[in-house]
Amino acid sequence: MQLKPEAAQLRRRLIAASCALLGTSATRSQETADPGFVQRLVKNWQLESALAYYHEDGRIQAVEPVVNASRDYGDGGNVSFNFTFDALTGSSPNGALPSHAAQTFASPSAKSFATARRLYTTAPGNLPVDPDYSDARAAFGAQWTLPLTRLSRLTLGSKFSIEDDFYSGTLNAALAHDFNNKNTTVSFGIDDEGDVIQPIGNTPVPLSNYSSFAREGNKSKNGVGALLGVTQVMNRNWLAQLNVAADRFSGYLNDPYKIVSVLDMSGNPTGYLYENRPGTRTRRSVYLENRVGGERASAGLSLRYMTDTWGIHSETAQLRLRWWSPDRQQYFEPTVRWYRQTAASFFEPWLTGAAISNIRYVSADTRLADFHALTYGLKYGYSLGDKLHRPSSELTVRVEYYQQTLSINNAVPSALQGLDLYPGLKAVLVQFGFSY
Amino acid sequence: MERSLTAASGRTFVGGTLLALFCLAATAGHAAQSLDLDALQGRVVYLDFWASWCAPCRQSFPWMSAMHKAYESQGLTIIAINVDHDRADAQRFLQTFQPKFEIWFDSEGSWAERFKVSGMPTSIIIDRHGVARFTHIGFWPGDSDVSAQQIRELLAER
Amino acid sequence: MKTIMLIIGAAVIATAGCSSVGVKPWQRDILSRSDMRPDGGGLDDAIDDHLYFSKEASSGGRAFGGGGCGCN
Repeated sequence: MQLKPEAAQLRRRLIAASCALLGTSATRSQETADPGFVQRLVKNWQLESALAYYHEDGRIQAVEPVVNASRDYGDGGNVSFNFTFDALTGSSPNGALPSHAAQTFASPSAKSFATARRLYTTAPGNLPVDPDYSDARAAFGAQWTLPLTRLSRLTLGSKFSIEDDFYSGTLNAALAHDFNNKNTTVSFGIDDEGDVIQPIGNTPVPLSNYSSFAREGNKSKNGVGALLGVTQVMNRNWLAQLNVAADRFSGYLNDPYKIVSVLDMSGNPTGYLYENRPGTRTRRSVYLENRVGGERASAGLSLRYMTDTWGIHSETAQLRLRWWSPDRQQYFEPTVRWYRQTAASFFEPWLTGAAISNIRYVSADTRLADFHALTYGLKYGYSLGDKLHRPSSELTVRVEYYQQTLSINNAVPSALQGLDLYPGLKAVLVQFGFSY
Repeated sequence: MERSLTAASGRTFVGGTLLALFCLAATAGHAAQSLDLDALQGRVVYLDFWASWCAPCRQSFPWMSAMHKAYESQGLTIIAINVDHDRADAQRFLQTFQPKFEIWFDSEGSWAERFKVSGMPTSIIIDRHGVARFTHIGFWPGDSDVSAQQIRELLAER
Repeated sequence: MKTIMLIIGAAVIATAGCSSVGVKPWQRDILSRSDMRPDGGGLDDAIDDHLYFSKEASSGGRAFGGGGCGCN
């Protein structure tokens, strides 16, 4: 048996990986003829693409194309690039509560009601939404996996995204090591994110009166996270994974466009305040996944429990089943996901005038409320592997239905009786995918 | 050329020791065949453990075909032992690659066990005297260059 | 749910320490299939994660590697 000493092997891999990135070959290749750049590109690179269409009942619609290109170097090394674009339009809830009276709001860029280019009025009984919400986001990510030894890998990644009013950059690094003949893998990763928030019309002063149009400058926030994971092959048909993760964000964590209704003692709206959330948020989560599979079918169950310093804790359970056709050229994959979260300690669907002076943090954003959500989905996949001589090549289509049901139990004041205060959310996702 | 392996006798040691005679016998229903590795003495043997689900094997097969084409006449014998549970999966793989070298089936994994295969794919290069000289775990272009060089070295030995 | 997860989680960690739990390298046929890989969801997972991140207060927790064919 002759195996090169580990150090020399590592040095060789490092050189090979960096040369590969530069597009040159570090080894004397056996190829006698150069197949041509485009042919090599097509042969060595894998492409995954998807087009998702998302539609919320009476609210937001989004179209999102995603493309991922990756190149495997065979020795465990890998490079991948990801491009995502999404365009959102439609109506977005502004945090105010429905009322028996009509309510008028100004667009985010307005400086006063009088000079506002656009006002919108919510009819009595309806949930106040900004009907002209639109946002476009472009995101780019790159990731590089470098094998350190046959049993360990270092992965470095970065992500950037740009939106009308938000810029984000993230760097991440992870180390993975295999044990027990690759039956056990331990991974440790860290990431760092920095965001700049430039709200349309400038940042509203937190807790300021909506009609004062008080504004401040741009904001930023920063986050660091860490994740420790163990993946264990239990037997030929069963894989388990356990991850513990924590992250901490600090800075401007508000949604700049969200307001809170201020009501009088009977429940009539007297005005609105801009929300304010704490300047830090630390989250911890535990994630457990089990996949069991046979020759023609498999089932995966994942469970996640999360808790944070805003008083929110959540539970997520998702089941995915896959059925392959006998020739393994097609499959169906139904899925169901159940999610439940408790409200943030500072979540209030409304404020009464008396409470305002003591308020430090408040938000009426239903994404911080007590709710449960169900997703039902079905995916169909058709393998193009044989036709294109690429085993992972396939065409897919999936449809998912997502429904959020709020459970807010504050005693309803008389003026709000008979209103559907918390309509929740219903949405459909349709996605087409092609991978080569 | 395809043969079935199940019950086997003989001792094997991986890594620098003499490989004793071992018989690869067919299951009941097929005529018993045995491969006498001693009869292969005088030839350099490249023993490869592969499976249809092993992605690097899609790279190793064209390479092994190239080695077979270049060095078979100089004394190289390639023996590729398949460890798929399901023979049909292996057949589909072979349809795509149409190898000209010998393919054997070890669906029980007894040969893989015997050779202490610790990764997929695994290749063992045996010299003209029946001594296992080099073992490679995994297959990728950089490492296959090393294997090719080792084959040439062993072919040059008399 | 928290208790169930703690019990199962402890079991996973305990077995991860045992070198006898697992399979031989040549027995990873089913594990190498895309539906048996923790990262086999591809773009679906990324799209779902982004959707749930924008509609719910929790995100992430899922990660990398392990499992699969264990090749190379």
